Amino acid sequence: MVDQPLLRIKELRTHFHTERGRVTAVDGITLHVEEREILGVVGESGCGKSVTSQSILRLFDEKRTVKYEGEIHFKSKNLLKISNANMQKIRGNDIAMIFQDPLSSLNPVYTIGYQITESIMLHQKLQKKKAYEKAVEMLRLTGIPAPEKRVNDYPHELSGGMRQRAMIAMALACQPRLLIADEPTTALDVTIQAQILDLINRLNQELNMSVIFITHDLGVIAEICTRVVVMYLGQIVEEADVEKLFSNPLHPYTKGLMKSIPQIDGDRSQALHVIEGTVPSLHDVPNGCRFASRCPYASDLCRAKMPELKIVKTGQKVRCWHYEEILEKEEVDV
Amino acid sequence: MKIYVLKRVLSLVPILFIVSIMIFMIIHVTPGDPATVMLGDTATTEQVEALRNELGLNIPIYQQYINWITGILHGDLGYSFFMRQSVTMAIISHLGPTVSLAIMAQIMAIIIGIPVGIIAANRKGSLTDQSIMGLSLLGISIPSFLLALLLILLFGVKLQWLPVAGYKALSEGMWVHLKYLILPIIALGSMQVALIARMTRNSMLEVLNMDYIKTARSKGIKERNIVYKHALRNAFLPILTIVGQSFAVLVAGAAVVETVFNIPGIGQLIINSIERRDFAVIQGIVLFVALVYVLINLVVDLLYGVIDPRVRLNHK
Repeated sequence: MVDQPLLRIKELRTHFHTERGRVTAVDGITLHVEEREILGVVGESGCGKSVTSQSILRLFDEKRTVKYEGEIHFKSKNLLKISNANMQKIRGNDIAMIFQDPLSSLNPVYTIGYQITESIMLHQKLQKKKAYEKAVEMLRLTGIPAPEKRVNDYPHELSGGMRQRAMIAMALACQPRLLIADEPTTALDVTIQAQILDLINRLNQELNMSVIFITHDLGVIAEICTRVVVMYLGQIVEEADVEKLFSNPLHPYTKGLMKSIPQIDGDRSQALHVIEGTVPSLHDVPNGCRFASRCPYASDLCRAKMPELKIVKTGQKVRCWHYEEILEKEEVDV
Repeated sequence: MKIYVLKRVLSLVPILFIVSIMIFMIIHVTPGDPATVMLGDTATTEQVEALRNELGLNIPIYQQYINWITGILHGDLGYSFFMRQSVTMAIISHLGPTVSLAIMAQIMAIIIGIPVGIIAANRKGSLTDQSIMGLSLLGISIPSFLLALLLILLFGVKLQWLPVAGYKALSEGMWVHLKYLILPIIALGSMQVALIARMTRNSMLEVLNMDYIKTARSKGIKERNIVYKHALRNAFLPILTIVGQSFAVLVAGAAVVETVFNIPGIGQLIINSIERRDFAVIQGIVLFVALVYVLINLVVDLLYGVIDPRVRLNHK
């Protein structure tokens, strides 16, 4: 009981009511986040990684569109069971979030100072003046030059990288235990991306805070995460330490993702590897393995029955019927 | 912001110039000779000629325009032969009822329309939302004269709670003043209420889907503050535009409503003047209304700048 993970998600299901019926965007996710860990969540668009992260903070409209099932344990509370008012006390205070596009994620009609102080005044009950001092301090921490001036700027007056730093300052203002970063670097250019990754890495260590880092970019995962969860169509298909995932990917989908990374010293005459086919629609989820229709190794068993997420010898977890055979075959090939 | 204000103000000059030319042309594009029309069939050629001279119709047209516009710039809108008084005086003496009516209708539209629109947006798809949208559709569809007549029938004739027509100035007491205006205000303002409610709802729904609303929610901001602080201020620009434009509709509507309720306002004055072909008064009123309209939209533009910092920047 000493090393309870900070966050423990058990069999999370997030259903949406749409005009075309009920859709289960997240289907039985079980994962945990350790203290001070950076957990990567990777997958292509529509795999449910953002829905998972937003389900943790219960950001969807529970009155009309969404229904959660399962358990999300944080600090000995099940977040799916507590009242909305208690949830509001956790949002921005214990668990904070940053989003993909900092321009659309900041309110255009308020200064960033106002937006940062808002949560400080709300959660820490500080006076306005103190809260502004804190905001300036946070902006300085995220590496914004001349923070005492910038604090009075509107979002459109900052560059893309500065905006994301301001977003991070806002998220970290109340020293959350967990930061959920939902593709925070996707909308930024590469040099800025590297700076933001460094910043998140540094703050993770300095502030003793855990991070869930959501991305579709395996390069980013390699750079900052310690452990990775690979998602496909609302499920986890593989979970591993970052080194293992890159040296020894088990799931055919993970393998496909790895091969799709362009190599700088690769043969340019060869076309880039692509995973054939497209992700099936959530309205039409296959009965068996969800990746079967795109998997080069798929058998009748795969199409008929869904494999469980199994722990294997290497300590990884994988959701595949044939991972051992595939592994043996590859060894023979090499 | 100063430059933004200056630019907005300067942009009014060409607008008002074009408006003034169009208004001036009213007298010349109307079929028939104005003097003949004014004097009627029985007038002699000499009488017509004399009036043409008096009206200044015999000098070159650009000279006429210059004379007219110079007079206006000095506050002289011309002279009404029918009313035996200056147009400026005629407008001022009819201004009170219309101003009362328009302002109160507008206030009613804002204080009902905006909250109702917010409520509908917050409960999108609910019975409340559907009832509000249904009622507002009715409000937009029903012509003001019909609504006026229905109101008179119900509250004036059947229930006898309120007078059926007429007008009492504010100087006779607030309550008396209001008693005569309540029905006209409702008749005139309902369409604005409906328009503003619908616009508020749409605008709020759009804004509530924005990423920054999700950000605010992720910070733990209370739902009420998300709606009123984060969403409403962003949703306000289109609402403001409708409020500004609705003034034109209010003036047009006032002509109808004032006629139905027999209120001696600008609307009634312009209807009577059109019947009498009293061109000086028509021109004067149209110019006056155009000026007020332009000024109200200037205020709206300036408010944009106050509400949305990006508007200020774009005009630097």
